[in-house]
Amino acid sequence: MKNGQQGIWIGAKDLNKDEAFIMEAQDEIQNPSLVEQLGNKEVTESLESNRRDFLKFLGFGVGAATMAGCDIPVKRAIPYVIKPDEIVPGVATYYASTFVNGGDYCPILVKTREGRPIKIEGNALSSMTNGGTSARAQANVLSLYDSNRYKSPQIVSGDETKSVTWLDFDSEVKSALKSALATRVVTNTIMSPTAKKALTEFTTAFPNANVVTYDPISSAAILDANAESFGDRTIPEYRFDRAETIVSFNADFLGTWISPIEYANQYASNRKIKDVKNAKMSRHIQVESHMSMTGSNADNRILVKPSEQGVAIAYLYEQITGNSVSAASRLNAKAKAALVKVADQLKETAGNSLVVSASNNVSEQILINAINSSLGNYGNTLSFSHASNQRQGSEKAMSSLLADLKGGKVDTLIFMDCNPLYNSSIASELTAAVEKVKNRIGLSYSKDETSSICNYIAPLHHGLESWGDVEAKRGLYSLIQPTISPLFDTRQGEESLLTWAGVSVNEGDIEQPYMTYLKSNWEESYFSTQDKYLGFQSFWDSVLHDGVYNTDGYSTASDFNADLESAAQGISSPSSSELEVQFYEPLAIGNGQYGDNPWLQEMPDPVSRYTWGNFVAVPVSFDGEKAFEGFNGLKDGDIVDVTIGDQTYRLPAIQQFGIMPGTVAIALGYGRSNGGFASNGIGTNVNSSLGNSNGLTQYFNVSASVSNGKGKEEEYSSVQYHHTMGVTAEETSTGETINADEAALAPGYGNVFQGFQGSLTERSIIRHTDLGHLEEAIDHLHHEREHHQGLNEHTLYPFDQYSEEKYSQGHHWGMHVDLNACIGCGACTVACMAENNVPVVGKQKVSIHQEMAWLRIDRYYYGDVENPNTVYQPLMCQHCDNAPCENVCPVNATNHSSEGLNQMAYNRCVGTRYCANNCPYKVRRFNWSDYTTADIFPANQVDVNGEEVPYGADNLTRMVLNPDVTVRSRGVIEKCSFCVQRIQEGKLTAKSEGRGLHDADVKTACQTSCPTGAITFGDRNNKKGELYEKFHSPLNYIVLEEVNVKSSVQYTMKVNNRDKTLDA
Amino acid sequence: MIQKISSAFILGVILLFTSSLSAQPTVESGKTLFRNYCATCHDKTMVKDATGPALAGAEERWAEYPREDLYGWIRNSQAMIAAGHPRAKELWDEWNSVMTAWPNLTDEDVESILLYITDASQPKAALGPSAGVGGEVEKADNSFLYLGLFALLAILAFILSRFIGSLNEIAAAQDGADFERKTLLQQLTSKKVVSFLIFLFVVIGGYTTVTRAINLGRQQNYAPEQPIKFSHATHAGLNKIDCQYCHDGARRSKHSIIPATNTCMNCHKAITVGSQYGTQEISKIYASIGFDPNTNAYIENYDEMSEDDIKTIFKKWFATNYIADKGQDEFIKRGEEVITEQWDNMVSSLTNEQKKSVRGPIEWERIHNLPDHVYFNHAQHVTVGELECQTCHGKVENMEVVHQFSPLSMGWCINCHRETEVQFSDNEYYASYAKYHEELANGDRDKVTVEDIGGLECQKCHY
Repeated sequence: MKNGQQGIWIGAKDLNKDEAFIMEAQDEIQNPSLVEQLGNKEVTESLESNRRDFLKFLGFGVGAATMAGCDIPVKRAIPYVIKPDEIVPGVATYYASTFVNGGDYCPILVKTREGRPIKIEGNALSSMTNGGTSARAQANVLSLYDSNRYKSPQIVSGDETKSVTWLDFDSEVKSALKSALATRVVTNTIMSPTAKKALTEFTTAFPNANVVTYDPISSAAILDANAESFGDRTIPEYRFDRAETIVSFNADFLGTWISPIEYANQYASNRKIKDVKNAKMSRHIQVESHMSMTGSNADNRILVKPSEQGVAIAYLYEQITGNSVSAASRLNAKAKAALVKVADQLKETAGNSLVVSASNNVSEQILINAINSSLGNYGNTLSFSHASNQRQGSEKAMSSLLADLKGGKVDTLIFMDCNPLYNSSIASELTAAVEKVKNRIGLSYSKDETSSICNYIAPLHHGLESWGDVEAKRGLYSLIQPTISPLFDTRQGEESLLTWAGVSVNEGDIEQPYMTYLKSNWEESYFSTQDKYLGFQSFWDSVLHDGVYNTDGYSTASDFNADLESAAQGISSPSSSELEVQFYEPLAIGNGQYGDNPWLQEMPDPVSRYTWGNFVAVPVSFDGEKAFEGFNGLKDGDIVDVTIGDQTYRLPAIQQFGIMPGTVAIALGYGRSNGGFASNGIGTNVNSSLGNSNGLTQYFNVSASVSNGKGKEEEYSSVQYHHTMGVTAEETSTGETINADEAALAPGYGNVFQGFQGSLTERSIIRHTDLGHLEEAIDHLHHEREHHQGLNEHTLYPFDQYSEEKYSQGHHWGMHVDLNACIGCGACTVACMAENNVPVVGKQKVSIHQEMAWLRIDRYYYGDVENPNTVYQPLMCQHCDNAPCENVCPVNATNHSSEGLNQMAYNRCVGTRYCANNCPYKVRRFNWSDYTTADIFPANQVDVNGEEVPYGADNLTRMVLNPDVTVRSRGVIEKCSFCVQRIQEGKLTAKSEGRGLHDADVKTACQTSCPTGAITFGDRNNKKGELYEKFHSPLNYIVLEEVNVKSSVQYTMKVNNRDKTLDA
Repeated sequence: MIQKISSAFILGVILLFTSSLSAQPTVESGKTLFRNYCATCHDKTMVKDATGPALAGAEERWAEYPREDLYGWIRNSQAMIAAGHPRAKELWDEWNSVMTAWPNLTDEDVESILLYITDASQPKAALGPSAGVGGEVEKADNSFLYLGLFALLAILAFILSRFIGSLNEIAAAQDGADFERKTLLQQLTSKKVVSFLIFLFVVIGGYTTVTRAINLGRQQNYAPEQPIKFSHATHAGLNKIDCQYCHDGARRSKHSIIPATNTCMNCHKAITVGSQYGTQEISKIYASIGFDPNTNAYIENYDEMSEDDIKTIFKKWFATNYIADKGQDEFIKRGEEVITEQWDNMVSSLTNEQKKSVRGPIEWERIHNLPDHVYFNHAQHVTVGELECQTCHGKVENMEVVHQFSPLSMGWCINCHRETEVQFSDNEYYASYAKYHEELANGDRDKVTVEDIGGLECQKCHY
């Protein structure tokens, strides 16, 4: 049942010892067989060649050879005319700015080279994120170079679209606005005080204009509940770092809910084991129906059906406050039993606990407030003085907008950087209603469902081209400054509104009028809040430099006071339906807002590890002995029809552990119809099946059914079973567990290699324990490690002596990964792609195991098979000091440096792929195609996503490339380099300054992106360094230590704080 | 051979002779002195006033006074004014400023300068590039020698083969055997010769192919014509401007940086006419950045100016200088032709298929090209390694037209890394190499090379 003693598994195929999966795991290279390829007509046609082709290729070959023999083409060196002082060509400049998209917020540093943003880092001065980032923030730089952007103002009349100048555009829009009967500005949450001021100026100039705010994923219930309970329609400041007990009702607070970077940062501070003798960690209990990323990190998960969320909250409320709620008894018995104990724990840690919920039902949220209030958590783990502005949407306002539209009362709509025709809860009705609206003005960044129905399109700057300010939490400000001059003829939304309102913004800086406006607002509003700077300019410069500015918070919240009687009546009642469906916001692409970003599309979902699309996650049932079966007998990749209400969707299925039986889950945000190439037609749009209760969107639906499998998905792009390590199989005759890798070496010879290290079935991949057994586990770990090291000492080669000689001086690089801090959010994988020019390959290539990511996050389950715990393991090249890949390279393209780096020389590589085959960690990637047009011969390029030019080949997208990292061409292997370009840069800085190297000089891209500080990189020889300290933690282990490759990466043992009594 | 030696000897004698005569005033030494001492304030054409007065005719103006007065005036004008010399007072009244004192100038030096002034103020027949500044004696070309040797040996081989043939014939005749003497053609087409030739062809062909293939993409001695005939010999050699004044990235960046036009303007706001090409080359800087040399001011809204207006400005500037240089008569004769030629030259240098206007950046042709998969950092070599620029770039200060001095091949890099000693002791960074420090102290090691600290590893340059 379990994969050995450590009891980890990656999915049902693994537990079931699925033959096809074991076969797959044995082969390094996964290519569709020729027969399969020939079955595909298109491929077959493209493979055919005739005499003409032969002559073409011959001619090309001769031509190419002649060309290569000629003189090198003239290259030009073009200097500046007037060089800006702050730019030194070849040296990166960093600017503090802020990433904002609706309510998503991250203070950032933008790395620019020669005036071109190429990478985003976190801003460590921010008290909210402490330098952490998210995958979305990391990927933001790619969207700047999106070929789908609007490039100039456009006026659409009928079928005709014409590009016009801003002058003409403004005069038309102004006259339209002047004659408008009623105007509505639709927007996502706006956190910028200055943008709000601009909006107020607009609504003052046009008194018949109103602003309507919505959030792509609604949090209206929390806001409304807080308005009712505290008289303050806001989201409180949560302090997960202060909470000893965290109970979350379906809130994915580490991944997508409100302010995930901030929460993850707080959360991890209480999850790392700082002192083994006095180990302490918070306990996190997640009450949910499907396996969310946050839930997967929880110590205990209590499973309820989506419609049971309300009664689960009510039941806990009952237990905590003693007030009875009649409906609460309808909760399932198992959850009831668990919640009783949860209530006890909460009471024990009263004042230091935190209960949160993502429920979009006002009554349920009031009960949550009552629970927290009764526990005395307000003032400690929740407070209002720095309340969050990250969600402000009102579904009521949207409904009344819809009513007004239907009644023909509104004739002008302005969509301000939002896409309500796709991702608002009233999308389909809105789409029908807007047709009647006379003026549809889109302040749009790129083509989407909303802008494609607009007759005026005012293209927007990217955030990296804009000015702005953000007040994400009360009193915590940050600034947005441009890091590149606008690439196209675009304009900031705020500037457009001000221009139309007739506010003179052209005074001061003519090129950047909004900067003048912003500055004057700051001079008026915030200059007086400090006394450090006497002059405004020096104050402004300092805030702009730091990127963040903190003042005291303010609160208008009163004490908790709510009508609990009626709240208890208002909770949603459980359904008796056989199958319910839970909808959720995917971590990468949100509710479609980030769908146009290929980096995010290709980032695997943390739990299912599916890329490029959504799927239906179905529960897995266990027959109690051996076999695991998916719901309806479904297997991974089976195509099914999911019927929700009166709609039927066709989706691939994935067997998912830890889902409440009788529940399936589907991600929102996919199936765009009018987005860019990266989002169009990728996945299925299920937004129209969202439920509704009391005018608020419910992210579940109680009437669902799932058909049997209707064939396999052709391009099943889950990376779940790709690049697996230590797979075991069952010997058919004896039933013994054998090592699948070894079986591949000698097929048919059974366990002939038994006794050698290669035949180990007990691979040390994940080490885990629970807090209660920490000391025993450490003893056991040390015993095991001694055993492995003992095995390794039986060698003919005096490795230790050699390594002492080689690595004892200078640097010896190493990395440490804290599995207790890693939450699986994927920021590091995207940061790695951005830093190292890792190509995007597209869905089809992912489906045949050709994804290129250098850093993958493996997800393993352990423990209870029906409700398992999860561990995430970031896995990159381990830079083994005794590397098996190096020995097998026939051309010595991969070899070892004196600093312990496993080097890869692309230009030496001839593509035998022996190294990838011999890598026990499966971290080497082969360039099957010329994804980034590094090759000078166009014939070597292939199309990705069916375009003529592969993605990443057009000059706009190529602007994102890091000029310090070689762009690899077709036919070479690549892999994690420990960000060697950063190592070299850091060393150079230290050398130039004539001092020793500090930890801060060299930080890898994955390390700086991590919101929880899970990754530490450094010099193992630096005894004062952070890494040296971390390498001496007793919790450490080395992955596959038994194969004696002397890896340079250490992991901490995963420790959970699971309360086993809750399982009973 | 004898001729070679004798010519080298004669050259040597001439060199010796000229250097021994250097104390005598000459135009050449005057030119150098003028550039070092006078050119900052006095215009090079000698006919225009700059910070100091135009110098043409200075000797005539001082003719009524003793020669020593002129020497004294040049050496220390302030003293002369204080002493109340009539000509000195006259000049003081006119200019109201004094010249820097140059007490170290000898009488011969002053004579040289005066000679140069007289020489330079005479109108020249035509503008033309001057000969390269004196370099080393050219390497002897030995190919003739080899060719002669080859022909000699071939004749020898032919004679010998005839000789052997005759001997064989005689021997055969003595033995009484039949001997059919092979003709030359038969000999040349014999199996032995043909197979030897094929062998030779394969070896030489293979060798050539491989070396050529290795050299593909390498361009040692590449010296393209640049849009501006910028002379490093003048700037770095004669005027001794530090390399890093213009290439200021070399100490802090991976790129050494081609200077921006505004860097040129730091000096060329004052120096408007070049010593070699007059207005032709320097004006290209002005056209790039938008500086009007006629009014000595930057042009407002240069970005929006029409190409015709730009043309007018620069044609006026060319004309003014031509007149100052050659006089009104010459200008009337062929002035229009010359300035049109100058303008056309400017347009063709500063524009190309993509760049239609003379405005904007100057597009130089890049000489030193490394492949994209090679990471090279100037700061590492200049700041940390403390290498001279000349180590890799050659004596740029002697180059009229810059060429690529080094092959920039990987073998060349590696060889240098093998030999070059690291600045080990005085940089705290290298303290982590404890073992080497110990060995150096013990005397077990005399130096630490770049190779010793991993300078030959792939990922030091390829990533």
